[in-house]
Amino acid sequence: MARHIELCVAEARPAGPGILRVTLRDPDGWPLPRVRPGAHLDLHVPGLGPRAYSLCGDPAVQDAWTVAVKREAESRGGSAWVHGLRPGDAVAASMPRCTFPLAEGAVRHVMIAGGIGVTPFLAMAPVLERAGADWTLHVLHRGALPCPEDLAPWLESGRAVAHDTAVTPRPALEALLGAYHPGLQAYCCGPVAMIEGFEATTAAWPSGTARAEHFVPPILPPDPSARAYTLSLASSGASAEVPAGGSMLVALRAMGAKVDASCEGGICGACKIRWLEGAPIHRDRVLTPQERETHLMACVAGCASERLVLDA
Amino acid sequence: MSASIGWHGTVTHLHITPRAFLPMQPQEAIELVAGEGIVGDRYRIGTETGFYSEKPEEGRQVTLFEAEVLDAILRDYKMEILPEEHRRNVTTSGVPLNHLVGQRFRLGNCVVEATRLSIPCRHIEEILGKPVFDPLVHRSGLNCKILEGGTLRVGDPIRPL
Repeated sequence: MARHIELCVAEARPAGPGILRVTLRDPDGWPLPRVRPGAHLDLHVPGLGPRAYSLCGDPAVQDAWTVAVKREAESRGGSAWVHGLRPGDAVAASMPRCTFPLAEGAVRHVMIAGGIGVTPFLAMAPVLERAGADWTLHVLHRGALPCPEDLAPWLESGRAVAHDTAVTPRPALEALLGAYHPGLQAYCCGPVAMIEGFEATTAAWPSGTARAEHFVPPILPPDPSARAYTLSLASSGASAEVPAGGSMLVALRAMGAKVDASCEGGICGACKIRWLEGAPIHRDRVLTPQERETHLMACVAGCASERLVLDA
Repeated sequence: MSASIGWHGTVTHLHITPRAFLPMQPQEAIELVAGEGIVGDRYRIGTETGFYSEKPEEGRQVTLFEAEVLDAILRDYKMEILPEEHRRNVTTSGVPLNHLVGQRFRLGNCVVEATRLSIPCRHIEEILGKPVFDPLVHRSGLNCKILEGGTLRVGDPIRPL
């Protein structure tokens, strides 16, 4: 019941073409968890599951989170649901995660946004400005500007530059980014084609100096030493393929197995399960060598064999 | 001889939060209710809204954490953890919490009974964005049930019964 953050819609208003800007607060106005600029929030869409949206408010504001969501014709349902939100509506969310952080130590930040891809940069902008950083945000858009009120002060100060591709040719990314020099950090958030162009343009740059944020979070690379295996349940005969580096606990839950779990870090012992066949890899710190001969901790265990059978 | 003899401690910080994930907020005083928990805190029995509330536990009415552990983690891991970040309610000084499981002791004017050691969880790392799991192993505080309630204030003494 409490594995999510309870939020309440405080404000929902248009913010550019097809875009709704939604401000979320704790129902009692309690401070919200701190977030890093560039973080995104999973909103739990009823009947659909979590949908990720970049937080676009100033991270220094501790009692409100803001997202700006464009209603997509090809939406899987998430943006349509967001556009139906009204002040006072209850919304459940997961803890924000930041897969698109600012580069610490960079001396100049150049950001390329495609349309609604401007959102993570709206959160980064005040942080960079307060830090006295050298930064520029290029917003490529077609027609009306996304999030015009949020962008207005940055456009006025010259920090942000809008490129309306409906009236001027699309600028070359090479020209916007400039030649790489030590201390330069580039960022891009936008449609797939824009990100592919960004990655091609920066392909020769040193590792980590050009960061892109897809609208869908990228899949994390698996542990190189991990392998895929078949997980089977002795009681039901059900089986599932666990990808290399995948979570056994997640696989068990997906199979409908009732597994208790708490710390999910291999120490509390809550998800202890008896194994019957195979070669589990134990990564917990709670089982004795003797216990490991018969049991494993599903939250952290892997498997060295092709198949693992659990007494579950 | 009881392991509790020979110590005398103090409440250094008090924190509560009304719901899972939300930041712990400092308080000058909190109200302990016998058999239930802390007024306004997420783990008060009967109105639970905490991350682990789906797993009822009598001994989660008030949780304690040693200030000395924060110093030790800074020393051992060069990592600063603030009193509001360990997510226990009462930060103590001079109390050997790990020795008090199963014992009753006085917390200000209240009386509590320690039920088990707290254990760290990945949930805290998720909230803090700091790798605190390993540093907190074996020193993550104490879970207690409240036998006699009352107002607990920063600076109140903690002592054996």
